[in-house]
Amino acid sequence: MSAKRKVAVTVNGRPHQGEAEPRMLLVDYIRDVIGLKGVRYGCDTSNCGSCTVVMDGRSAKSCTFLAVQADGRELTTIEGLAAEGRLHPLQAAFQEAHALQCGFCTSGMVMSAHALLARNPDPSRDEIRRGIIGNLCRCTGYLPVVEAVEAAARARKAGGEGGTP
Amino acid sequence: MSSAERRTLVGQPVVRKEDPDILRGEARYTFDVELPEMLHVAVYRSPAAHARIRRVDLSRALELPGVVAGLTGEQVRQLGYVNPLSPFPFQSRDPFRRGNPTIKFFDHYCLAWDKVRFVGEPVAAVAAVDRYVAEDALDLVEVDLEPLPPVVDSAAAMEPQAERLYEDWDDNVMLTFRVSGGDVDAAFRQADVVVREEIHSGRFTGTPIETRAVAASYDAGVKTLSVWTTTQIGHAIGTLIENTIALPDLKVHVMFRRIGGGYGQKWAFYPEEILLPLLSILTHRPVKWVETRREHMTGTIHAREQTHHIEAAVRRDGAILGVKDRIVANIGAAYPTGGLASIVTTGMFVPGAYRIENYQGEVLGVVTNKTPYGAHRGFGKSEACFVIERLVDRIAARLDMEPVEVRRRNFIPPDAFPYRSVTGPRYDSGRYREALDKALELLDYDHWRKEQAELAARGRYVGIGTCLVIEPSSSTRMGSYNAGYYSVRMRMDPNGRVYVFPSGSDDGQGHATSISQLVGDELQVSFHDVMVVEGDSLACPYGSGSYSSRFSVVGTTAVTLAARTLREKATRIASVMLRHPPGGLEFSGGGVRVEGRPDRAVSLSEIARTAYFYPFQLPEGMDPGLEVLYHFRDPNIEFEADERGRVAMFSSFPYDAEAAVVEVEPDTGLLKIRKFVSVHDCGNMLNPLIVRGQHVGALAHGFGGALYEELPYTEDGQPMAASFKDYFLPTAMEIPELVLGHMETPNPFTPGGFKGAGETGAVGPPAVLANAVEDALRPLGVAVRRLPLTPQYLWSLIREARGADPGAAGQGDAACPTR
Repeated sequence: MSAKRKVAVTVNGRPHQGEAEPRMLLVDYIRDVIGLKGVRYGCDTSNCGSCTVVMDGRSAKSCTFLAVQADGRELTTIEGLAAEGRLHPLQAAFQEAHALQCGFCTSGMVMSAHALLARNPDPSRDEIRRGIIGNLCRCTGYLPVVEAVEAAARARKAGGEGGTP
Repeated sequence: MSSAERRTLVGQPVVRKEDPDILRGEARYTFDVELPEMLHVAVYRSPAAHARIRRVDLSRALELPGVVAGLTGEQVRQLGYVNPLSPFPFQSRDPFRRGNPTIKFFDHYCLAWDKVRFVGEPVAAVAAVDRYVAEDALDLVEVDLEPLPPVVDSAAAMEPQAERLYEDWDDNVMLTFRVSGGDVDAAFRQADVVVREEIHSGRFTGTPIETRAVAASYDAGVKTLSVWTTTQIGHAIGTLIENTIALPDLKVHVMFRRIGGGYGQKWAFYPEEILLPLLSILTHRPVKWVETRREHMTGTIHAREQTHHIEAAVRRDGAILGVKDRIVANIGAAYPTGGLASIVTTGMFVPGAYRIENYQGEVLGVVTNKTPYGAHRGFGKSEACFVIERLVDRIAARLDMEPVEVRRRNFIPPDAFPYRSVTGPRYDSGRYREALDKALELLDYDHWRKEQAELAARGRYVGIGTCLVIEPSSSTRMGSYNAGYYSVRMRMDPNGRVYVFPSGSDDGQGHATSISQLVGDELQVSFHDVMVVEGDSLACPYGSGSYSSRFSVVGTTAVTLAARTLREKATRIASVMLRHPPGGLEFSGGGVRVEGRPDRAVSLSEIARTAYFYPFQLPEGMDPGLEVLYHFRDPNIEFEADERGRVAMFSSFPYDAEAAVVEVEPDTGLLKIRKFVSVHDCGNMLNPLIVRGQHVGALAHGFGGALYEELPYTEDGQPMAASFKDYFLPTAMEIPELVLGHMETPNPFTPGGFKGAGETGAVGPPAVLANAVEDALRPLGVAVRRLPLTPQYLWSLIREARGADPGAAGQGDAACPTR
C-alpha cells in the first residue's frame, strides 16, 4: 500500500480535506471519504456514466479520475443541486417527464444534463442526445430524459432562472 | 360507494412519489450497504471454458495484509452443512408431473469443485478489509486447471461423440419438452405449400446498470442471517438459502428494498447468494460483494440463444394450416436460473397472434460451456415472436402476397376471445387486426410504399416491416417458485395511515406510486398517506416476487381487494360509532360519514383507534385491529398440463402492433430507421406515465437486441463481449424517435382491467426490423435469418446475393455464397 496523499477539494460549495492512496478512484473518495453516496458506478470501462459529477464546471466521470487528481478542484455532486429540500428545476423536470425508473443511472444522468445546460442553455433534441451519450440507461429508453432536459431548458428560458454548475 | 367519492388517481399520469429521494441522491441500493467491520469479497472466476480443477491454492492470497479469509469449492463441500444449490424455478425433477418436460440436474455448489464449465464460473473467494485489497488478493490466487475440449455450439454439443459437460448424463441435453395440439400431420397433407426455415435468435441479455451485489451478516447470537441482495424474488431466495445452508434454527431475512433494474436478470438463484452468507458465518463479520461489470458479462445470465427448424403448412390463400418447430436452445451451464422455464415458454408461444390449430413443438435445452441462460424481458416469447413473425413474412414472400395480408388472414379474430391456443394458453382479449391497421395508419403505409418504389428506382433500398407481438404476462407454473398468487398485507394504523406490504420487488416499475393510486381511490385517503414497504422477506408476506409483468395483473388486484376488505371493516366500525346502518355511509376526505352529512362523520384515524385501542366497542365477533392479509389467485390459468404438454401458464395477453420503415445502405450494410410505430394495448392503464415509460424502455431493449447487442464466443469458449466496450447497449443516440399509439382492451378477468405493460416493447423490434430489412433488400432476394442486424451481417447478405448474380455490382471477390 502506498502512502496516502492529502486531497483538498471544494464539494457543493464547501471545502473538504482528506487523504487518499494514489490509486484510489475519485468515485470511491467521494463516497467513502467525503461521504456522499449519491454517486455510484455500473461498469469498469468508463462507459455507463453513473459516476458523472461536475468538476470545475465540466461533466467528469469520477470513476476515471484518481482522487489525487481532484486536489484543488471544485466538485458538484447530485447532492449539490437541490436547495434546502426543494428540487432543482432540472430535477423537477426529470420527475415530471418520468425520466427515471430504477434510479441507478440518475445521479450521473442529471449531472450530465446539468453540465450540458450550463454550456448550451437551448439545446436541440439532437444536441441533448449527444450531450448524454456518455450516460447509459436501461430503464427509460432515453426519450423521457430528452424530454425532461427540453422542458428544463424551456422553463429556464421562460423564467430566467437556473442553478449554477 | 356514493357519488360524493372522487376517484382521482387511478388512470391518471400521476408523477411518482419515489422520485424525489432518487433525484436528491438519497436512494440506497445493495451497493450502499455498510455495516461495522464489514469485509469486501472478491470472486476468482474461471478463465477457462471447460477444465478439470486440479488445485486451488489460496495460501499466498491469505498472506496479503488486509486479507481475512478465503474459500474454495472443496472447502464448501467439506463444511458439512452446505447442500448443492437448490433448483429454481422448477423445484422438482418432473414439474408438470407428466414426465414432460424431462429435466436432468447436477449438484453445483456455490463454488466450482470438480470442473469449471464456463468462463466466469465462480471458483474461489477472498474477503478483505476493502475492495482494493480484495482485488489485489485475486491476483495471488493459484488455480491449476487441466483443459478439456470446450463445447460451444449446440449442434456440436448434441453430436454423439461430443464432450459431456456432466459426465453422469448420457448426453448434453438437459431438458426436453414436447407440446402439440390438433393434427399436424393432416395439416401438412392438406397443404398447398410447405415453407421451411432455419431461424436463429442470437445470444444477448439485458444488462441493468446496477450490477448484482450481495451483502450478508450472520448474527450467531440470534441465529439470524441477514442478506441484502439484488434480487427480484427475495422470499424465494430466503427459502433457497435455507435449503442450501442446512444449519439448525437458522432464521433467514432477505432484504431487497431497491433494485437498480432487473428485467429478469435478477430472477435466478445465484451462487453468490450462498457464498456471501457462508463467508459471514465463517468470519463472524458482515461481508459484501459488488459485481464488476466484467464479472456481470459472464457471471449473470444470458438469454435468447435458440435455433428453430420450423415448417409451416400453408394454403394458397395464405392461411397457415399447421406448424412444426424443433427448437434447440443453447443454455450454457446447468445452474438454477430462469432459462428452462423460458425455453419451455418459447415452445408454447410459437403460434403467436395467429389461429394456428395444428402444432407440434419440440424444445431441447442443450448445455454448453457458456454462461447459463436465464430470463430476459420477453422470456421465451421474444424468441417465439421473432420466429413466427419472420415465418409469416417468408410465407408471404413464397406466395407473393403482402405480409400484412398474410397477417390479417391468420389473426385470431376479436370474437374468438377468450381463445384457447393449440398449446394450451387462454388468450384473454385482443384486437390484433385493429391494432395493426392503426399502426399502418400512423406509419402512413401507402405513402411509404410509394416512396419505396420511387427510391428503389433510384437504387436505394427502403423497406417496410410489420409485426404483431403478443407478450403473455403474469406467469405461473405448478410446483415452482411462481405458483400463481399474489399476497399483500395492508394495515391502517392508528393514525389512519395505510401501510402496504406487497410481495414483489421494486426494480424501478413504480410500485409505491401505483399502490398509492389504488389505495388512495379505494379508501379515499391522500396519495401521500399510503406507505409502501416492499422488499423485506420478513415484513412482507411470502410471495413470488416481481417478474413476468405480473404486478399489473395480480398485484394491483390483490391491493385493490385488500383495500376493499379493510374498507368493509372500517365501514362496519364506523356504523357502530355513528349509530347508522353501513348501507348509508360514504367515504370522504379521509373519513366516513353519513351520506351527505359532513356533521355526522368520523375520521379514519378515529375508526382505527377504536379498532386498536377500544376493541370492546367493536361489533360482536369482530377481531381488533385494521389489518388484512390477502391472497389473490391468478385467474385464467390452467395448472394441470395434459398428456400433450398443454397448459395455460400465463393469464393476461398484452400486445403491440409495430410497423417500421428502414433504409439499408448497400455498400456498408448500415441500417437507418426512417420511422417506427408501436400501437400498444396493455388493457386499462393504471398510470399512463408509467406505462409509457415501461414501453419506451422495453423498446430500447428491443432495439439493442435487434441491431447491436450480441454475446459471441470463440471456438475455445472465450466470451468476446466482456465489457461495455464490446457489448453495444444503446446510448441516447441509438433510440429513434417513436410514434406511439395505444388501445385499451381491458383484461376481462380482473377488476382493474390492467394487463402487463413492461415487456411487450422488448419483443417486437427484432421481428419488425428484420421484416423491414428483408423488404428493403427484396430486389436482391435476401432472406434474414438471424440477429442482430449488424452492418456486417447485412453487408454479407447483400454481398452473397450480389455474388450469386455475376452481373451485379459487387464489393470485390465474387465467392460463391454458401447456404
